[in-house]
Amino acid sequence: MKRLLVNTKILMRRLAQAVGFVVGLSLVSVAQSSPQVHLNAEGLAPRPIEELTGTTIVHHYAQAWSDMAAALESSRPGTISDEFVGQAKDRLKQRIAEQAKAGVHVHIIDHGHQLKALFYSTDGAAMQLIDQAQLEIQTFDGSKLLHTDNSLHKYMVLMTPGADRWYVRDLQEISEKDF
Amino acid sequence: MKGFNGLLTCASLCLFATFAAAAEVDVPATVQAGQAFSIHLEGSGSATFYLLGPNVILKRSVSLGSDFEVGSADVQAAGRYEAIVCDGSCSSAAFEVKAADPARLSFFLHPSRVPVASRDAIDAFAFVFDRYANLVLTPSVVDFQIKPVSGNAVSRQSPTHHGVAWMRMDSSAHEGRVQVTAVLGKVEEARVIQQVAAEPCALRMKAAESGNKVVLETEPVRDCGGNPLPDGTVVSFTKTDRSGRSTVDTPIKTGIARTEFRVDGPAKISVACGVALGNELDLKGRL
Repeated sequence: MKRLLVNTKILMRRLAQAVGFVVGLSLVSVAQSSPQVHLNAEGLAPRPIEELTGTTIVHHYAQAWSDMAAALESSRPGTISDEFVGQAKDRLKQRIAEQAKAGVHVHIIDHGHQLKALFYSTDGAAMQLIDQAQLEIQTFDGSKLLHTDNSLHKYMVLMTPGADRWYVRDLQEISEKDF
Repeated sequence: MKGFNGLLTCASLCLFATFAAAAEVDVPATVQAGQAFSIHLEGSGSATFYLLGPNVILKRSVSLGSDFEVGSADVQAAGRYEAIVCDGSCSSAAFEVKAADPARLSFFLHPSRVPVASRDAIDAFAFVFDRYANLVLTPSVVDFQIKPVSGNAVSRQSPTHHGVAWMRMDSSAHEGRVQVTAVLGKVEEARVIQQVAAEPCALRMKAAESGNKVVLETEPVRDCGGNPLPDGTVVSFTKTDRSGRSTVDTPIKTGIARTEFRVDGPAKISVACGVALGNELDLKGRL
């Protein structure tokens, strides 16, 4: 009986590992124009993530970064996509308007994002994630290169669901000490 | 030798001149959101200063060797800022703006209606923001104060992790309004949920015969804790007699469900509400 229990525990553990592996593998954005995003939702509380939700989050988060990079490069507010809402959208719009006024723009070379889900509310209304992004950010004044930063950036992300997608509601860069 | 010394002096002076002109930017490691501060610009001569933040871009002509005053409005958004100063070549330094003190709770209580005496049925979570809508990542403790319409108020404390605090609790045994208030320092945010009766318990009906009709009426429909089920809850009466089987669904009104049947010969009548089955009446063809 004890042996059966041990075998069952091992089987369950292997099954859990297999599921985690499958989820880890499948939740990677594949669109060529979007940066690569990998989501780790292991141990998420108080509610686990459904695979479809994970896939949707990865897709729209990647799209949000792609659109944000395009908007920051062109400094045209019209290019801000629907992937952003609320505070994240307001701040991005303001930043782009200020960029246009100052004649400054940035070019982002996105080397990919490691997303870790931290909190998913029971009612499914909000998900908090942390993103470790390897970014090369070039800042220009007109055509003059002012500064290049190639480093790991960390962001605290708040996403909320809409009718057909998950929106980026808050995107706050944080330091290593904050996490 | 004299010529060499002159060359050395000239080289030193030239080097000094180069260092003196080189612009450097001296920033604090962290700044609190909404707090004005100054950035010292080392060097001499004139230069262009840039400040890039999540929602701000400043571009100013500056004199090196002076302080650049950053206004409180320019650093309201938490995040990473880059200060760049250019006088031919550019140098830069990054600093972090951290959220100010907690000033607002974004509080969610779920669900809005919950059956009484249910385990882990109520979820509460609160995001902590400062006055500039930055998520406050500094750990703090949110006090969830739970006040049922009857019974004692209780309090549950939950620490924030990355700016969010959450807790899960059982619903209490009595129906009615429950107010949950999330409190952090002087910041409060209240939400209300309605606890409703659970599944009915000991459902019973009685019959009053009148001609070839029978009038059926339940006793007050309550759950096992004695809480009355809300009006509108559907009760089903089913009659089986010589004419066949028929069911009437009727809502509870003022705690009681009523209906009437025409019966043909011996009849059996049962009553049900949700998952609860009530008593069965056997009318034995008296009508």
